[in-house]
Amino acid sequence: MIKYIIKRFFMMIATIFVIATLTFFLMHSIPGSPLESDRTTNPQIQANLEKFYHLDDPLPIQYVNYLKSIVTFDFGPSIKKPNDSVNSLIERGFPISFELGMVSILVAVISGLILGTLAALKHNGIIDYLAMTIAVVGISIPNFILATLLIQVFAGSLGWLPAATWSGPSYMILPTLALATGPMAIIARLTRSSMLEVLTQDYIKMAKAKGLKPFRVIFRHAMRNALMPIVTIMGTMLAGILTGTFIIERVFAIPGMGKYFVESISNRDYPVIMGTTVFYSAFLVFMLFLVDIVYGLLDPRIKLHNKEGESS
Amino acid sequence: MKKWLVMLLTVALFMVMAACTANKDAGKDSGGDKGKAVEKVLYLNNGVEPNSFDPSVAFDAVSWNPLNNLMEGLVRLNDKNEPTEAIAEKIDISEDGKEYTFTLRDANWSNGDKVTANDFVYGWKHMLEAKTASPAAFLAYEIVGAEDFNMGKGKFEAVGIKAPNDQTLKVTLKAPTEAFLNIITNPSFFPVNEKNAKTNPKWFAEADTFVGNGPFKLTAWEHDAKMTFEKNDQYWDKDVVKLSKVEWAMVNDTNTEYQMYKSGELDVSSVPSEMAEQLKDDKELSNMDQAGVMFFRFNTDKEPFTNEKVRQAFAMSIDQQQIVDYVTKTGQKAAHGFVSYGFVGPDGKEFREEVGDLITPDTAKAKALLAAGMKEEGWTTLPKITLTYGTSPDNQKIAVAVQDQLKKAIDVDVKLQNVEPMVFMAESKENKYQFFRSSFLNDYADPVNALESFITDSSMNRTNWSNKEFDKLIAGSKNESDAAKRWTMLQDAEKILIEEAPIVPVHFYNQLSLQKPNIKSIVRHPVGYMDLKWADKE
Repeated sequence: MIKYIIKRFFMMIATIFVIATLTFFLMHSIPGSPLESDRTTNPQIQANLEKFYHLDDPLPIQYVNYLKSIVTFDFGPSIKKPNDSVNSLIERGFPISFELGMVSILVAVISGLILGTLAALKHNGIIDYLAMTIAVVGISIPNFILATLLIQVFAGSLGWLPAATWSGPSYMILPTLALATGPMAIIARLTRSSMLEVLTQDYIKMAKAKGLKPFRVIFRHAMRNALMPIVTIMGTMLAGILTGTFIIERVFAIPGMGKYFVESISNRDYPVIMGTTVFYSAFLVFMLFLVDIVYGLLDPRIKLHNKEGESS
Repeated sequence: MKKWLVMLLTVALFMVMAACTANKDAGKDSGGDKGKAVEKVLYLNNGVEPNSFDPSVAFDAVSWNPLNNLMEGLVRLNDKNEPTEAIAEKIDISEDGKEYTFTLRDANWSNGDKVTANDFVYGWKHMLEAKTASPAAFLAYEIVGAEDFNMGKGKFEAVGIKAPNDQTLKVTLKAPTEAFLNIITNPSFFPVNEKNAKTNPKWFAEADTFVGNGPFKLTAWEHDAKMTFEKNDQYWDKDVVKLSKVEWAMVNDTNTEYQMYKSGELDVSSVPSEMAEQLKDDKELSNMDQAGVMFFRFNTDKEPFTNEKVRQAFAMSIDQQQIVDYVTKTGQKAAHGFVSYGFVGPDGKEFREEVGDLITPDTAKAKALLAAGMKEEGWTTLPKITLTYGTSPDNQKIAVAVQDQLKKAIDVDVKLQNVEPMVFMAESKENKYQFFRSSFLNDYADPVNALESFITDSSMNRTNWSNKEFDKLIAGSKNESDAAKRWTMLQDAEKILIEEAPIVPVHFYNQLSLQKPNIKSIVRHPVGYMDLKWADKE
């Protein structure tokens, strides 16, 4: 196990390094610079700015400095927001995105599992159709449309909830709903199909035949195996949602870090692009690592330290 | 057997939901204390976090709309868009128009310190220092020695900014610059409290350390989320200030902003473009001029726009009025010249109205001009034409309309090409495109600001167009101390520019907003930043 973790750790470092390098060179290969603006056309002012942000250094030197900044996790000041360092943007935005993301994931997982399980148990019954209709609708409505709709209905027409901003618990309800619906729908569908498959297995019949209580059969024997595909998608889903989503945060004016991913690129704000990319990829790689560990816990047949061929 | 399981799960689901709602409702009322009768709180939206409150650093509306209400320079634009005495109590201008002597009034910083002439020297020096890399520094280039100092050459002692005593600031200009008082209403000319800036080099980054001298003070700043301004009791003209508080939200999505306005969470909102037509006649809609113009540039080095008659033919095929009426539909004025509305000359007349419409659609003339131009060049068919614009739905709508108008008027097929905005900006500066969308927003309130973009080799020219007479008129206007003569020179320059058609104007900009009927006297200038000094909420 320890050996596996160490091995995975080095692979994580290598992955992040490759991602970081690719990002750096892609970023510099697109035309336009962070200092590009219709106004600052005075060459001297331009030169002063370039010097200030070390953009006049040759690319290899910038690359080395950039690698240094990754190792020390200090990405320097943002170019578009000179008051802030990239670190402070992340420190400020991430907890908020994380909080919203965590609540949304919890809502999505709990309601998704319940819907999916109900649908599988009542296969081809009314509940099944109902649950799957909800799931299909949830998957097909993009979350920004749902978000606008929720604001229109609950804030605009009914006036029950605040439309936007991040000022207290009641402000969390609409963004959570908007953010959780998609993942919930995916989880519900996955749960249903893997549940259906698991429920026909011999060991479930065996468990039932032994006279185990239905609750125990479902949760102890069926659910545990049915969870495998869900855990698989959870890694990417968590990384995506916990680091903030651009559209939901924009629509609800939530000061998370989602916007920096998108805006930094259209602004060519190099330090922010680098900071957010490295942060996100580190987070993602870590989540995938966690998922692998959870596999082992859920299914003892998967042994982490075994060679590929022997596992599963 | 399954029945009770279903029930159990349902109960669990309800419990989870109930738990969530109970939790979330608990703090529901924490947000608004609008109800209080005495306090006048204005709820505004800044869209996003201001980029910087260092007066020298940001050069954008999101920073300067709020900052303009936290600080004050020597002069301030009044509700008629004229620069009037603010921190300066008296302004003496020498006969040759080059020496400005400002006598400061007794004014305090929000921390109680006196505002001294030295605070201005300190702030202006900070803007001009090469290491600050201020994008606004060029605005000060009319001051003797400022350009050299900004380039890193020469000492600050050589710059024409002096404070002989605490109450007096003397500024020496290179040439009589009529717009100078207007230029220094710009936030980059605000003073900086030297003592505070030395103890907290990042004084402008947080509410705790921010020291201003304007009508309001910054009392809370939750980054990326909101700001609170309160009336500044130290402000010299505090009796005029009626609002007790301004709450700024940072909502970037215009649809959300509009919903918040509808539900009363905001007092002022921008207009979502999808709603513009529906709200066209709304009583709460306010439409103000903004000095700036959207236009197309022709690259005079790329065929067929090397030929003046061809350029004119294209320019005359574009129907500006049709574009604002049926395409943009957001209340802009059609542009039949390059200088926008809002500039009043020495004779009290609008520049735009005095010059009149320099270019209007004329299909017959356009056809004749195109034929004549092609004959001059010996072309039987026109070279391929591509119209380029930065990717955005609004830009695309206009480009499609222009494509259609050109086809109808002079039967020319134009290919449309959209490019990612940053790439577009970089490549249009490199003169890569043939026929492309452009826009100009005034930095200060004077026609010369717009027109001088097109002098030979200006970095704003981007058309390769060059005209000696035009250059001479612009240069002459900068040294002319007779206001009436200067005005005529600028009007002549504009006529040449439109006549030779390296560009074709489409529409002027405007500031469209929704405002609750009980909100009064928010001042929005054609050039300049939002002013809440006189604003009131009834």
